Amino acid sequence: MNPIDDDILQAYVDGELDAATAAEINTALAHDTALAERVQRARDLRTQLRSMFDPVLEEPVPEHLSALLRPATSKTPEPVAGKDALGSARRHAARRRWMMGAALAASIVLAALSLWWWRPGDVLTRTQNGQTYAAGTLAHTLDQALASEPDAHAPVAIGLSFRGADGHVCRTFVVRAPPSRAGLACHDDSGWAVAVLGPVTSLESGEWRQAATALTPEIQAAVDARLSGSVFDATQERAARDTGWR
Amino acid sequence: MREGLIALLPRLRRLARALAGQAADADDLVQIVLERALARAEQWRPEAALDKWVFAIARNAWRDELRARHRSQALFAPEEAGDAVADSASTPSVQKLALAKALAALPPDHREVVALVLVEGLSYSEAADMLDVPVGTVTSRLARARTALQAHLGTEA
Repeated sequence: MNPIDDDILQAYVDGELDAATAAEINTALAHDTALAERVQRARDLRTQLRSMFDPVLEEPVPEHLSALLRPATSKTPEPVAGKDALGSARRHAARRRWMMGAALAASIVLAALSLWWWRPGDVLTRTQNGQTYAAGTLAHTLDQALASEPDAHAPVAIGLSFRGADGHVCRTFVVRAPPSRAGLACHDDSGWAVAVLGPVTSLESGEWRQAATALTPEIQAAVDARLSGSVFDATQERAARDTGWR
Repeated sequence: MREGLIALLPRLRRLARALAGQAADADDLVQIVLERALARAEQWRPEAALDKWVFAIARNAWRDELRARHRSQALFAPEEAGDAVADSASTPSVQKLALAKALAALPPDHREVVALVLVEGLSYSEAADMLDVPVGTVTSRLARARTALQAHLGTEA
């Protein structure tokens, strides 16, 4: 077999290859441990970058920034330019930060508390032999919905779908209805086994696609741990659904 | 459009953090981006994705800042930038510090590709469009950036 160069390998890790080429790499990975290590290192880097920067998504947005976007004031802010821009922006910001910081922090804590706990008895899941499975709307969405045909008003949105290293098809999802949660479920003989489920901050409609690929570090790690090839494209996703996610 | 920008704020802050490194610099960058976006609102066509449009403004604003700082010789030393990123991370570790330093040491061409593709999740072709370079250039910059970052991480098992 031809050596697989770094460009191809990174395209594989980044999900940029067509299905046929990705399948070739999958085959090569099975018996080439050096190649598997290169893939793992590239995935580790992705995971570490995400875990370094994704927490920014959960931070409260500084009040002086969201205030810029409120139409209430009659005066549009003057665009700042030139090399004094950073200095003036920072002085401007410092005046407001201390005033709004405490109130904002309190409201974020309240919001986080109200979103926090996932209850095993919730109607979106059932328990079988100690394993949590998707139920109700969540199970229905995982069975039927295609990420390539998003429904902005559905209570559950699907993110990535892929076949895990153990052969099971897994899908990430976001439960839009409050309290918003996101997770990863993998299909087995008994249904959709929920591998990860946790709270997310509120999602705007239209944001779900990014949210699905920018999930919590826990989900990202769980996906990386299971992913053995590329995530499904639209055709593969539909084919997997039509064969019952086997 | 303001509503769209509000929804985008967390992701814009993440991108800015990945570009600028330090939290305070990143939020200053976000402020400049929002002001530019509002000032140029009439240039945005609703059929264009707002996130790509705003991210392109962010990338250009960041390059402007880099140039301005370079002129005033106020460029942060990589060590400084690395410390700040590690401080703001939720679980500081030796490895995070090493990664932050390695990121800060990347040339801007490489750092922006890492931020757009690996942090923000753009496809190669979306990043290429935004940076106005061929996809092959994105690929090769990303490969070189990966090599540099992985070398700093010492992830050889």
